[in-house]
Amino acid sequence: MGCNLCRLFLVIADEEGEPYGIGMPGPADQASEEVQWIKAAQRGEREPFGFLIERYQRRVLSHVARLVRRRDDAEDIAQEVFIKVFRALRTFNFQSSFAAWLSRVTVNHCYDYLRRERASRIDFDWQAPEGEQEEFDTRVEKAEERSPDPEKQAVLRDLVSKLLDRAPAEDRIVLGLKELEGMSVEEIAEILDLNLSTVKVRLHRARKRMLEDFRSLARGK
Amino acid sequence: MRCQKVRKMLLEGWSQDLEESTGTHLSGCPECRLYAHDLGRLRSGFLALAHEPVPEPSWGFAERLLRRLEEGADTQTFVEEFFERVGRRVVYVAGTLALLLLLVLALPSSGPLRSPTAAELYWSQSDVASMENDTGLSFESLDSSDAVQAPAAPEESGSGNKP
Repeated sequence: MGCNLCRLFLVIADEEGEPYGIGMPGPADQASEEVQWIKAAQRGEREPFGFLIERYQRRVLSHVARLVRRRDDAEDIAQEVFIKVFRALRTFNFQSSFAAWLSRVTVNHCYDYLRRERASRIDFDWQAPEGEQEEFDTRVEKAEERSPDPEKQAVLRDLVSKLLDRAPAEDRIVLGLKELEGMSVEEIAEILDLNLSTVKVRLHRARKRMLEDFRSLARGK
Repeated sequence: MRCQKVRKMLLEGWSQDLEESTGTHLSGCPECRLYAHDLGRLRSGFLALAHEPVPEPSWGFAERLLRRLEEGADTQTFVEEFFERVGRRVVYVAGTLALLLLLVLALPSSGPLRSPTAAELYWSQSDVASMENDTGLSFESLDSSDAVQAPAAPEESGSGNKP
């Protein structure tokens, strides 16, 4: 990656033919070179797109891993996202930051994936099976009794993970962005292209549903 | 303070400190205390999940992806490209409108079939008068104030009054 970037600083020139300079770029330089990469990729050039991939692959993979929660599939899904980005790059008009636009494409792709996955699942029943309820109940209560924090945290983490896997796609996306990615409501609104109040309502609803399911699963209520 | 309001505040202030009034309510309401306790556990679960390390892209991720693009994973059909450029919603709306237009054109221009109205079942006085003039017959003997039933009456009365 480092070599690629060094080569890029030597090779890439702006529209007037002026080189960007050699050495580590500052934030302004980074933004400027990114614009050039995007413009070149919009013309169908793949190498500059490769630099965009290098820069954003961790971010995309992090979004995918946290929203879809399939570690084995995360990289494949991230690749699909980048292919989608390459196809749709011509529609990017620089009105928002590329990072925000990329996050939007990623989240939308994850949303579609979750909806497809949910639709193909046979168990539409949101209620946990009886045995599973008891198992969770026992595990949570036992962990709380012994109360070594890491164990309790691990049990709760597994429980929340399981609940998230069953939650509707809309809830998973909004909770994933807020609680797992640690985004602000404003950032979520920008990525999902919604207004603030809609995001707040969705977040409230998702938390409420999640808590109800958590209680019914952990306490058998 | 009502339980419902307290629970709403607990959900909204997910990661914030409790207000004094909420704390007071919780100390006197075991149901809401349990609710807050469960909420705290759920929050802990989310925090633990958030601290899980995310996977790193494997070595050669970008190269593989570029190769995939080279091999034609990016080739899309004209329809796909058109959809992406124009936007799916616009295409769907245009398609629906076109379908509606086709339906409208396909319908017969005469309109739907309907039964004859009352006005069509009866002849007006002027019609009767002209009929009387044409045939030389009189319909006054019939028990009708101002009109005569149209389809059957002329033929029946005509045939019955034939000399």
